[in-house]
Amino acid sequence: MEDPPPTTAAAAPISNWGLIRRLFGLAWRYRRQCLQVLILQLILLTLGLSGLSLTGLGIDYIRHVVVPGLPLPAMRFLPNLPADGEPLLVLLAIAGGILGFAILRAFLNYAYTLSINILVQRHLVVDLRGEVYDKLQRLSFRFFDANSTGSIITRVTGDVQAVRMFVDQVLIQCVIMVISLTIYIIFMASLSPSLTIACLATTPVLAIMSAVFSKRIQPRYAQSRKLIDRMVQHFAESVQGMQVTKAFGREAEDRAAFEAKNEAVLVQQQGIFWRVSFFSPSVGLLTRINIVILLGFGGLQVMRGELALGTGLLIFAGLLEQFSGQVNQVATLVNSVQQSLIGARRVFEILDAPIEIQSGESAQRRSGLKGRVTFEAVSFAHADVPVVRDVNLDVPAGTCVAILGATGAGKSTLMSLIPRFFDPQQGRVLIDGIDIRELHLDDLRHGIGLVFQESFLFSNTVAANIAFGHPDATREQVEKAARIAAAHDFIMALPQGYDTVLGEGGNSLSGGQRQRLALARAILLEPAILLLDDPTAAIDAQTEQEIFTALDNAIAGRTTFIVAHRVSTLRRADLILVMENGRIVQSGTHAELMRAPGAYRRVASLQLLDGRELTADITETGGAA
Amino acid sequence: MTPSSSSLPSLTILQKPAGEDDHHARPLEWGLIRRLFGYTKPLAGKRNWLIFFTLSRALQLPMLAWLVGVIISGPITRGDHHALMIAVSGYALLGFLTEATFHFRQRFAQELGETVVNRLRNDIFACLQRQPMGFFHRTKLGRIIGRMTSDVEALRAGIQDVLFVSIVQLGQMAVAAVLMAWTDWVMFMVIVCMAPILWALNRYFRVRLSHYSRITQESFSRITANLAESVNGIRVTQGFVREDVNAGLFRSLIADHARYNISLARTSAVLVPLLELNTQFFISALLMLGGWRTFGGHMELGDLITFFFLTNLFFNPIQALANQYNHALVSMAGAERVFRLIDLKPEWSDADDAMELPDPRTEAGTAAAEGLHIEFRDVNFSYVAGTPVLKRVSFEARPGQTVALVGHTGSGKSSILNLVSKFYLPDSGLVLLDGRDLMATTSGSLHRQMGMVMQQNFLFTGTVFENIRLAKPEATEEDVRAAARSLDCLDMIDALPNGLHTEVGEHGGGLSLGQRQLVCFTRAMLSDPRLVILDEATSSIDALTEERLQTALKLLLKGRTSLVVAHRLSTIRHADLVLVLDQGEVMERGTHEELLALGGHYADLHAQFVQTSSEG
Repeated sequence: MEDPPPTTAAAAPISNWGLIRRLFGLAWRYRRQCLQVLILQLILLTLGLSGLSLTGLGIDYIRHVVVPGLPLPAMRFLPNLPADGEPLLVLLAIAGGILGFAILRAFLNYAYTLSINILVQRHLVVDLRGEVYDKLQRLSFRFFDANSTGSIITRVTGDVQAVRMFVDQVLIQCVIMVISLTIYIIFMASLSPSLTIACLATTPVLAIMSAVFSKRIQPRYAQSRKLIDRMVQHFAESVQGMQVTKAFGREAEDRAAFEAKNEAVLVQQQGIFWRVSFFSPSVGLLTRINIVILLGFGGLQVMRGELALGTGLLIFAGLLEQFSGQVNQVATLVNSVQQSLIGARRVFEILDAPIEIQSGESAQRRSGLKGRVTFEAVSFAHADVPVVRDVNLDVPAGTCVAILGATGAGKSTLMSLIPRFFDPQQGRVLIDGIDIRELHLDDLRHGIGLVFQESFLFSNTVAANIAFGHPDATREQVEKAARIAAAHDFIMALPQGYDTVLGEGGNSLSGGQRQRLALARAILLEPAILLLDDPTAAIDAQTEQEIFTALDNAIAGRTTFIVAHRVSTLRRADLILVMENGRIVQSGTHAELMRAPGAYRRVASLQLLDGRELTADITETGGAA
Repeated sequence: MTPSSSSLPSLTILQKPAGEDDHHARPLEWGLIRRLFGYTKPLAGKRNWLIFFTLSRALQLPMLAWLVGVIISGPITRGDHHALMIAVSGYALLGFLTEATFHFRQRFAQELGETVVNRLRNDIFACLQRQPMGFFHRTKLGRIIGRMTSDVEALRAGIQDVLFVSIVQLGQMAVAAVLMAWTDWVMFMVIVCMAPILWALNRYFRVRLSHYSRITQESFSRITANLAESVNGIRVTQGFVREDVNAGLFRSLIADHARYNISLARTSAVLVPLLELNTQFFISALLMLGGWRTFGGHMELGDLITFFFLTNLFFNPIQALANQYNHALVSMAGAERVFRLIDLKPEWSDADDAMELPDPRTEAGTAAAEGLHIEFRDVNFSYVAGTPVLKRVSFEARPGQTVALVGHTGSGKSSILNLVSKFYLPDSGLVLLDGRDLMATTSGSLHRQMGMVMQQNFLFTGTVFENIRLAKPEATEEDVRAAARSLDCLDMIDALPNGLHTEVGEHGGGLSLGQRQLVCFTRAMLSDPRLVILDEATSSIDALTEERLQTALKLLLKGRTSLVVAHRLSTIRHADLVLVLDQGEVMERGTHEELLALGGHYADLHAQFVQTSSEG
């Protein structure tokens, strides 16, 4: 939880009180279940006290029988004992009563534990996680760029747990604590007010001590986590980069660096150990002082006959123990509040983040786009840094457009404006003459097929991956798409064909195979528009051939935008755009651009001339790009 | 929301089969315990004190409880003021002493645990560094990290808690037993009979609890795996409008997890009340039996009260011990795995009589031979016995020459690099470096004269400067700049956001592919190697950067011997020797021109490039 609050599109941070108010609102949604839990706890408390009272009563009764002259013990709320009953029978009745209460308690305890778990696990956590996940999926890519995968996962897992903690461990526990402490105090006071005051004198000290301790130790634990994370991270990197370390013969240095980080953990922990080992015995000592007061002061009262032994002193001892047990929880409670607030902030940040891109109210439903794409004076900036500047472009349906440019020239961004991954700040993008903001988002995206630089495949079957955008697709449709993408043959060669389960990220496949699956995935949607973001980037030149056939098949009849660096790819296009700093600086066909002086000719010549053999002008481009 | 239950079957595959050596628990083993104990040696003094404090606490705790009983049943019942004051003061004193002991007992135990863990981590690290590269290619990173984190943590619990807590608890039980037997042995016998029942009950439920908690854990890791995929694949998901389907899948996963969680809760919801019921059952039995015996004059009321205080002392440890026993079994499993790793003998290490590879540049008067001389003679090699990867490979790279390795994936190109770097050993045949057998040369001395650039361009977290300096830790900033300048790429490094001091994130994040490669080139340059090992990146880099890289590469290779797995035609063309590999065999050899003229395998490969580019 130590990563800094990441930047979302969310507005000003919410204050602590605002957060608490919202958390109360969350608990209110589950008020019925909360109430049930509280009532069960209240009954349990009463039964426990009754059992304790009966035990005291039993002892006093034995004393009454054995020591002549002692009065018959009696307790409020409990039926009076018969003065002349058979002692063993009376005792049996008391013992039976204790057991009866205990059995009842056992059942209710079961019900209590279960109902609080159902409240938390089945309702709270499931609902919250579902909501956060659902929202997460609709957030802009900006959010995913700004936050590491680990931190996003934590929001759905750990942070949600922290939020629910507020309901079951803060709110409910608080109410339980207040109620039970009140009952204990009243009960104790009814036995002996003076002893109560004497014994409880230490509790404020205890409560303050716990709260202070937990506040003091928290930053040290956080620091310790950080050091451990650093050590483990170093370790993980060392293993991953072992080849580099070995190749440069730096084992000794690396080991020393690791041992230093390991040592730092050890040294820092000492301080924590000291404090923890100071705190727990101190708490223990306070409890001991309580017992000393109880025995000394309470003992005197018993001797003076002001307090009964069983129904007085022994019950008091039992109450005191439970009382300090509850007070000890103050530290946990304080801690939980802090943690749940941190978690809540991060969870609400997601739930409150505006969905930047969604269909407008009057969005048109249109299945079957034609594929004419028009950019009208489009400008787009990422965090005030202009990325696309004043682009005007009209691409008739069925045209293949290739885009060339250096890293950061705005090629990918320009393409991502078409499926509305971002909306431009100025100008507009039209498809078939309609502003895409007036199209229903689902229809727009269904009409567009996407292949990224490194295609992400899910750990699922090959068929499920191809049918990703259309889960109900038949096997025929899947195979057809695979054939077009020149993937059918290699898929059939896999152990279970289309039902082969891919490893994490599809890493059991080669780069070329992955890209062809990605292509099949896009083709299955039969999109009018195909966006290919440097699809051959991660493929070595030898295997590049595999994908070109697939590309040619896929491109036919669709409006295609393709980002490419190799002349071999660029020259396939009907229109080539050269981008620099977000602007289109050149456009035309390969032949046209080769005639004009400019960036394109420079780059193309570099690739072509590298070959030196003019006859093999075509040759070079494959390898040299 | 459309939680389509039809897509449920696909969930199961997200679960990864647990490895065969991932046992959760393991029976106690004396050898492992003794070995762990050996790790406490550096703190032997503290350890011995710790044992002392633990033993005294095992006496103090029951004494305190007994005192309470005695004070109530003695002075208070008798009404003896004076005795009460003395006894209460005694209690206060003992109480203080007990808590003071507790401080040391807790602190020393934690320090001991942390020290052992610290030493184990260092041992694991050192052991890993001794392993040849083959180990890292075989073993999953997650598994190695598991040794370092969860297994070591399990061990810590075993060291700092199990033994010492058990001593205290057992001592408490023993003292309570003695006191009870001394007070009234008939009553004590009744109580003793209950103990095994309590123990059995506890064991039964603990086993079930740990079973459920493992299932719950597994279902949770399915959730995180799904989340990780959802986050990493977000572009695909949004692009293909899959949000609702994914949400449905995710909901069924979390509902699944909730179900397991509730099963877990249900088990503990039975156990906890059952234990409490047991105590209450006890109190009522005590009351009955004690009352009966007191009425009959066989027992004093005071003794009965003492019993009330001692029984808890006798029974509470049973729960705690059952818990510790569980921890102990988990620790054993952790210890076994950690020690198995630490004990793992490297498959091979440098021969004892291996000698340093002399660097002629350091010897006065022999500044001539800059590059390393390499020769492969009939080298056979396999990663897995029976599946040869290289077959009778022979070639020679004279000082200063560039040898390009060409062939399809799996043809054995990388294996040649692995052999010449001594990351693996050949099955048979000779690898000669400057005429000396590789086997008779120490890895370290070879690596010091070698510079390596791998395909992944792996960078460590830290600054660009730190990453480059990895090759030569004593290098100054000026040295690093000089190295970059000699590759004619200093301007590109200076153009980074913070120049040389730009932070690179996980695996070089933040830098572009081209920039990462540049850093790797500079790193290799800084080490001023006689041999450059280069696995060319397959990925295309934007054309202008690519040009700079090619220039830098030429400068890096100049005057040095180099072995290059080539993906760029330009690199191949500049090579002095091209080896065309297919299924582990050298099919053809010669220069680019010679091979083209030959019209064989290479010409075919080359024609593929040609075709690729001419089709458009």
